[in-house]
Amino acid sequence: MSQASRNIRNIGISAHIDSGKTTLTERILFYTKRIHAIHDVKGKDGVGATMDSMDLEKERGITIASAATYCNWDDHVINIIDTPGHVDFTIEVERSLRVLDGAVLVLCSVGGVQSQSITVDQQMKRYQVPCIAFVNKCDRNGANPLKVIFQLRTKLGHNAVAMQIPIGLESEFQGVVDLVTMEAIYFDGDNGEMVRREAVPESLLAMAREKREELIDAATMFSDELTEAVLEGGDISCELITDAIRKGAVARKLTPVFIGSAYKNKGVQPLLDAVTSYLPCPLEVVNEAIDTEDAARNVVLSGQTDDPLVSLAFKLEDGPYGQLTYVRVYQGAIGRGDTIINTRTGKKVKVGRVVRMHADQMEDIDAIAAGSIGALFGIDCASGDTFVAPGVNLTMLSMFVPEPVISLALIPKDNKAQISMSKALNRFTKEDPTFRTHVDAETNETIIEGMGELHLEIYVERMRREYAAEVTTGNPRVAYRETITRRAEFNYTHKKQTGGAGQFGRVAGFLEPYAEGDFLFDNKITGGSIPTNYIPACEKGFQQSLEKGPKMGFPVTGIKFCINDGAFHAVDSSEIAFIAAAKGAFREAYAKAAPVIHEPIMKVVIETPTEYQGSVMGLLNQRRGIIVGAQDEGAMSVVESQVPLAEMVGFSTILRSATQGKAQFTMEFAAYRQVPASVAEKILEEIALRKKTAA
Amino acid sequence: MLLKKAISPVRRLRRPGQVIYLSDRNIAMMIKELSERNPLRHLGLDMNILKENGAFGAVMAPAGVGKTALLVQIALQAMMKKFSVFHVSLQDPVHKVTLWYDEILQDLTKTYPVDNVQELREEILLHRFIMTFRVDDFSVPKLAERLNDLAVQNIFRPQILIIDGLHFNSKIQPFLQEMKALAEKQNFFVWFALHIHRNEQTNQAGIPLSIEGLPQYFQVILKIEEKGDYMSLKAIKGEGRDKAIDTELRLDPTTMLITDRG
Repeated sequence: MSQASRNIRNIGISAHIDSGKTTLTERILFYTKRIHAIHDVKGKDGVGATMDSMDLEKERGITIASAATYCNWDDHVINIIDTPGHVDFTIEVERSLRVLDGAVLVLCSVGGVQSQSITVDQQMKRYQVPCIAFVNKCDRNGANPLKVIFQLRTKLGHNAVAMQIPIGLESEFQGVVDLVTMEAIYFDGDNGEMVRREAVPESLLAMAREKREELIDAATMFSDELTEAVLEGGDISCELITDAIRKGAVARKLTPVFIGSAYKNKGVQPLLDAVTSYLPCPLEVVNEAIDTEDAARNVVLSGQTDDPLVSLAFKLEDGPYGQLTYVRVYQGAIGRGDTIINTRTGKKVKVGRVVRMHADQMEDIDAIAAGSIGALFGIDCASGDTFVAPGVNLTMLSMFVPEPVISLALIPKDNKAQISMSKALNRFTKEDPTFRTHVDAETNETIIEGMGELHLEIYVERMRREYAAEVTTGNPRVAYRETITRRAEFNYTHKKQTGGAGQFGRVAGFLEPYAEGDFLFDNKITGGSIPTNYIPACEKGFQQSLEKGPKMGFPVTGIKFCINDGAFHAVDSSEIAFIAAAKGAFREAYAKAAPVIHEPIMKVVIETPTEYQGSVMGLLNQRRGIIVGAQDEGAMSVVESQVPLAEMVGFSTILRSATQGKAQFTMEFAAYRQVPASVAEKILEEIALRKKTAA
Repeated sequence: MLLKKAISPVRRLRRPGQVIYLSDRNIAMMIKELSERNPLRHLGLDMNILKENGAFGAVMAPAGVGKTALLVQIALQAMMKKFSVFHVSLQDPVHKVTLWYDEILQDLTKTYPVDNVQELREEILLHRFIMTFRVDDFSVPKLAERLNDLAVQNIFRPQILIIDGLHFNSKIQPFLQEMKALAEKQNFFVWFALHIHRNEQTNQAGIPLSIEGLPQYFQVILKIEEKGDYMSLKAIKGEGRDKAIDTELRLDPTTMLITDRG
């Protein structure tokens, strides 16, 4: 294991909205001397946090794009990706987790494990990312880090253990007791930069001993030496405990929990120590690629810089100097002037500038070594592409990209705005795979699609600010789908004889609901009633029909097509004829198959003061919501529900006014479900009206 | 559809040249088949008890034996019959309680087509409301306030209440009295999970001596016991449909579903 790789940590900072991720990152950068002054999120100095480089981020106090930076701590290089907390920007979180080796899960000591923490935790599980937890905001009223540790165990199923206990809480929060070294740690100086270690205060000694015992007890599961030492009953060395915890944390079987208050500059330096001590280096994480020439066999990457290059472009950003591509190098190195190959396109690319990113500033470097994260300039590629050395046939697994659920029509003010709008859309779609755009053929409107209202709102605002594109927006539209509920048979002949070569094709069979996926084509033709070379044309015809359902023009999903008979003509049959026959067959059977509309249902979680619980439930009920449950947690209550997305438009304003701004909510896609008949009628009317207006 | 309902599946199978698809089996038929597996029914209990307002039932067992699983099974059976079930958990968060329901429904319906199960799930979901409280914060007035919130806005009116995680300590009697008054006033039946200790001495009726005074509050008491490779379920208090109840049911320890009549 090379020393350089052993001293690298690629970490992400993930959490619920407003848990203080960006504030924590700001403190980390300050203590590691990457920045020389602390600016707060939405701070009074108007500068904004370093990582929130976009004007919009500074104004709203939220992180939109995940920014990358690096810092040095105790001979280690820490690459940090600060990720957005809002669920609409989930793709940013997914992308960063794919390339990270470890994560810090930030939790609020008052709010505890909140809905978004659960989503982030599931994402970490999907990518097997080891994590440590940081219970932030211990200076706040109602702070209770031990309750948060309990919630980590019960709500997220983590084997969470306290590594520290607080010295005082709320406004009395002074520092922490390190349970491994049994020292009290205080943070002095204007910005908490001076760490003072002292003996544990007498009043906390009993509790510290008890918690240390719990910690050691949990750690013994991962080290026989530690177990022996405990059984022998002598002094237990700090190294022995640290090693055992590290083993547990790297294997994702133990979650060490640290506490502090980033805003009050407390507890950040021990967290940095923990990042270097308990999170894995790139060589400790097993990364696999797929061998494209060997039946998609999984190949474990070595993580050595001397081996041939394998890297993943996980994020694109179009800046003023051209396209910037963020890459994580898994094996080998990317150096200036190197020739690398994009495995998706097979094209050779020459690497120009290689840089290391620090929010919106960059630093030129010679090469990105194995295990590191950096950025390349002027490389034309898409997000998720794999770059390899010539002669290597490996590709990294692609990332999970969720389907958009909401759309918005854009109307440019004039011709100039139209040109700027298309430039902006071109850039945004390249940067963000969950943001899509198309032109509606019927209404001729430009439609943008995304993961939520805020997601689209931010892009429209960026369009106005960065591209001066004056656009007005229509009402948000929900991504409805059509599907069938009954089996129906078809037997359709496409015949055309209008002079010249004719067209002939007959397809017969049935279509039926298909729950396991969007589309399935089953060929049961025997005896050559349709020649084999026309079968793909039939499948293509069916697939094309699904793009726009005959009922209301929404995409059709969840259908199985089975063809079992047909006919052809030796001269007049062609691929086009069979495509047309399949489309005709679909139209014929679809009406008989009892089509229905499905709408996206969102999981909506509202955290509200308990006195507003009743009115919050009322709001959800008015919106066709099904309340799954309510959790009474003393002063606060959490209401979980499933609500159709169509009913959630403008909900944040309504919730704010109903709860005096004291409640907050998160929303994420849960499932597609059938629209009730009365609502379906309304949707039909709306579509008819829209078509009429467009005409 | 009407014609399909009128003809029994067996007769439809016999008609020449006709194939019956599993997906044709409708939800009503599925519910009917599933209710055959209702443990309360198998125990021979008089099901009218569930319609008796203010009546109490208890599932009694030591920790980890399957009280929650059985209560969820009872709730699911009731929801299928369109009873509104209000599940109060004092130990698990909402998503964990939801998981209990999902898993037991999955076990119960694993032989049915996915589509139908999903349809059933969506249908019965409307008849369930989960509310969790911190055990030290839970009280009858608080519950009454929450139930009132829901009733006033016409969101949910329970017919069956399940309370899981309540400590049956020395202060329980006043709680049960208050609860009984609320249940009578708001017209619902209450099921409790009653935690007992493993090696505790019991009286002749099988009631642990520490809670000997409590049975007066309950109309039905079910007891789960570990018996090697199966779980035994017995009604130690309750009225039978036609006779005294002495049936022992065998439950699968992994799913807590009935395996065989004992």
